[in-house]
Amino acid sequence: MRTLFAFLLLAGTVSFFTSCEKDDPEIPHEEELITTLNYTLTDPNGETVTLTFQDIDGDGGNSPTITNGTLSSNTTYSGSIELLNESEDPIEDLTSEIREEANDHQFFFTSSAGNITVAYDDTDDNGNPVGLETTLTTSDAGSGSLTVILRHEPEKSNYDVNTNDYSNVGGETDIEVVFPINVQ
Amino acid sequence: MSNKLVYLILLLFLANRGYSQNCTITLTGKVVDEHTQEPLDYVNIYIPESEKGTVSDANGSFELNNICPDELHIRFSHIGCEMITQFYHLTSDTFLLIEMEHSDHLIEEITVKDETNKKANQHSRKITVQEIKENGQNNLAKLLSNVAGVSTLKNGSTIGKPIVHGMYGNRLTLLNNGVTQSGQQWGNDHSPEIDPLVANEIEVIKGTAAIEYQGSNLGNIVLVKPAKIKKDPHLHGSTGYYFNSNGKGHGLNLQLQKTHHSLAWKINTSVKRSGDTHAAEYLLKNTGTKEYNVALQLEKQFSQKLFSELFFSSFNNELGVLRGSHIGNLTDLEEALQREIPFYTTDTFSYQINAPFQQVHHHLLKLKSSYFFTDNQWTDITLAGQVNNRKEFDVRRSGRTDIPAISLFQYSGFGEIKYISEKRKNTSFKSGLQFNYINNSNDPQTGILPLIPDYISLTSGGFLSYAYTPNRWAITSGVRYDNVLQNAVTITNTTPREIKRYNRVYHNMAANLGVSYRFGLPLKISQNIGYVTRNPEVNEFYASGLHQGVSGIEEGDVNLNSEKSLKLTTTLNTQLLKSVDFEVLGYYQNIQDYIFLQPDDEIRLTIRGAFPVFTYTQTDANLLGMDITARWDINKSFEISNTTSLLKGRDSHSNLPIINLPSNRINSTISYEYPDDVMVSNQVKFSNIKTSFNHQYISKQNEAVALLDYVDPPDAYHLYSLKLSSTLHWGATSTKVFVDIDNLLNTSYRDYLNRLRYFADDLGRNVSVGVIVDF
Repeated sequence: MRTLFAFLLLAGTVSFFTSCEKDDPEIPHEEELITTLNYTLTDPNGETVTLTFQDIDGDGGNSPTITNGTLSSNTTYSGSIELLNESEDPIEDLTSEIREEANDHQFFFTSSAGNITVAYDDTDDNGNPVGLETTLTTSDAGSGSLTVILRHEPEKSNYDVNTNDYSNVGGETDIEVVFPINVQ
Repeated sequence: MSNKLVYLILLLFLANRGYSQNCTITLTGKVVDEHTQEPLDYVNIYIPESEKGTVSDANGSFELNNICPDELHIRFSHIGCEMITQFYHLTSDTFLLIEMEHSDHLIEEITVKDETNKKANQHSRKITVQEIKENGQNNLAKLLSNVAGVSTLKNGSTIGKPIVHGMYGNRLTLLNNGVTQSGQQWGNDHSPEIDPLVANEIEVIKGTAAIEYQGSNLGNIVLVKPAKIKKDPHLHGSTGYYFNSNGKGHGLNLQLQKTHHSLAWKINTSVKRSGDTHAAEYLLKNTGTKEYNVALQLEKQFSQKLFSELFFSSFNNELGVLRGSHIGNLTDLEEALQREIPFYTTDTFSYQINAPFQQVHHHLLKLKSSYFFTDNQWTDITLAGQVNNRKEFDVRRSGRTDIPAISLFQYSGFGEIKYISEKRKNTSFKSGLQFNYINNSNDPQTGILPLIPDYISLTSGGFLSYAYTPNRWAITSGVRYDNVLQNAVTITNTTPREIKRYNRVYHNMAANLGVSYRFGLPLKISQNIGYVTRNPEVNEFYASGLHQGVSGIEEGDVNLNSEKSLKLTTTLNTQLLKSVDFEVLGYYQNIQDYIFLQPDDEIRLTIRGAFPVFTYTQTDANLLGMDITARWDINKSFEISNTTSLLKGRDSHSNLPIINLPSNRINSTISYEYPDDVMVSNQVKFSNIKTSFNHQYISKQNEAVALLDYVDPPDAYHLYSLKLSSTLHWGATSTKVFVDIDNLLNTSYRDYLNRLRYFADDLGRNVSVGVIVDF
């Protein structure tokens, strides 16, 4: 009986000192999160079209918003990609992270419509393309979609890096967004 | 591999026939088989101190004369049995009753009543010290997987958790040294933080309801415990070295123990290191492991009435995860599924562990005291604390690979008081109160929203159990109640992030009734029925986020109810013609509000592409299974054994199969033991020369749900293994050596319960070599 009493006393003491309310957690600083991709296309006249994929609360929560683009036919655009983390204040620019680790990243551009082709305009330290800077060429009018993919740690030695074929590239997909495109 | 083992002696009768001076002591005794109680002949009895020996006769009896009064060791060895060495302080003529267990006692025993009535009537299978040592290169789950009804849920070759009767993770309690293992058991890719080499003895209880133990489970339990320290005043121990050809793994184990009057100590430590393992046809990149563990054990007999033990163990490991299994989205997964050989496969072997990998530390400190009011009435008081720290590293951008993607810190405190009474003959009464506090936190340094929230859980409960074992009957019963307070703090995935609190209270119940009857020696029938409830765990309530490995978004449901399980087992144990043991265990389990991950209709669009969403949902499930174990001793040397496990589970509403259930499997072994010792010289001999050949057949899981999976379950496969072992005696030291070849034919296969089957083949051939020196 005495041992039982001692035990209950001990259990009581432990529960007294160990509160049953968990403290508020510190909300992690999600600095790696990419919320926004802006693909800015500039035609020879300096007119710009910006394709935007934005999902400020990350996976889950609200659905992302996608800005469609309307391009002119038979035009050559210079394209530039910007990656942002808009969930942080101030807004973080993550484009530089990709540029610094260009060896381990590559963008791929594919189009369901046959009227858009994208060529790489930049290279990493090994002379392989990255895709932050590109040239986008349209031909005849028509509509379709443009898919932009960012692969992290693709095996650049294992495939022809200059084509936009990512089927045998490996690595993990950090970004895969689809923009409806209208060429007119 | 599952076989071979010793068990011990226990009874020891000392008869005083007057004090004898000088060397006039007569030592007499009898050796019997522990199970059948039949006398064992040709047992070698040897006293190394005096170099005296003899052999037992047809009645199992032996006699040694003219022994000096002294402290000495006596060694008992017999074909098919593990050698036993015992310490005695002889002062007068003595009679010894020795029980030896056949080393290959595969047959599973229903423990009707062990010394503390722990699992009376519940079906259990023990894996003993020798068996663990001889498989020292394997992890806990692999070691258990040879037991009928037990299989492994794997994440590559290094990460595995046991499945007992289809239950794992939140539905299977692991007891480490009497204390519920407190870690991150919810994760399918989280191995139990236990080193079998440090543990000494493992027992699987295929039960209907765990009455005596706290922890979330639906009847089944895995008990891991250190062996008692031998009452021997000399320093004894063993050291083992293991080598695995697959992964070029090395392992070292050292155990030391000594008893100093009333104080006994033991230290057990192991170090393991392995590099990239090999599938049949290619290297599995980044599958190395590192592990170092230590356990300290102190036992003190303060008085006739008070006995205390202190236990500390520390488990530390680092496990590489196949590089080619790290993917981003469904496109990546589909790409991986198309490939014969995973991405990043190269021919350069390495010990290096890079991201993705897991790093786990687990420490346990336990103090237990037993106070004996009388010989058969005592109380046990246990206090324990555990610390668990799990970090998982992923391939990340901008140097963040060094920052864990998951970092969980958990500490827990456990207190227990038990009262046991065996006052009346054939009865045993047990009661107890238990209290457990768990505090789990995420490290915000990860920079990622946590997969499971911070929480505190407080469980207080108690139990009563009663066993009555008159003559051929054994009747056991018990009830248990637990009050669970769960306080979780979640972070929402809205912008801005918000903190949301949940407070819940649960009442968990368990009740069990078992009856067994022995129809004379050759037949025994046992019947068990148990009811148990389990409250949903935090991951089932609040999980939120992308589970990258399976390319799906997992969502908890805050409205889940407790699971309620009713399980029925029937066991038939029989012996035919004295040489055939046969046991069949049938079970049926009905689980109401069975919690599982169900795919939603929703495909969620994220910046990484589109992902399927899985939500924790409830249904009612029915499981029906059977474990069959058979053994035939053809003669003294040859033996054939077989274990077969069958299981089927259905969702009773949709009539769809239950996911992640083991498929049917058959495991057969034929073994041969050379009946004599092989003398090399006067001083050197080989004994217990044994070879065994094993065939394992794992059927295809035809009961899989296409909806819940990306590919068809892998085909059935056959695996063969070969083992050779012997004990080398060199003067007074004995060395056990073994060679074990797994996947003898280097078969390429994939297993349904291995998550990495999407990406790569399972392990190819492995040759392990082990040397164990007992001293």
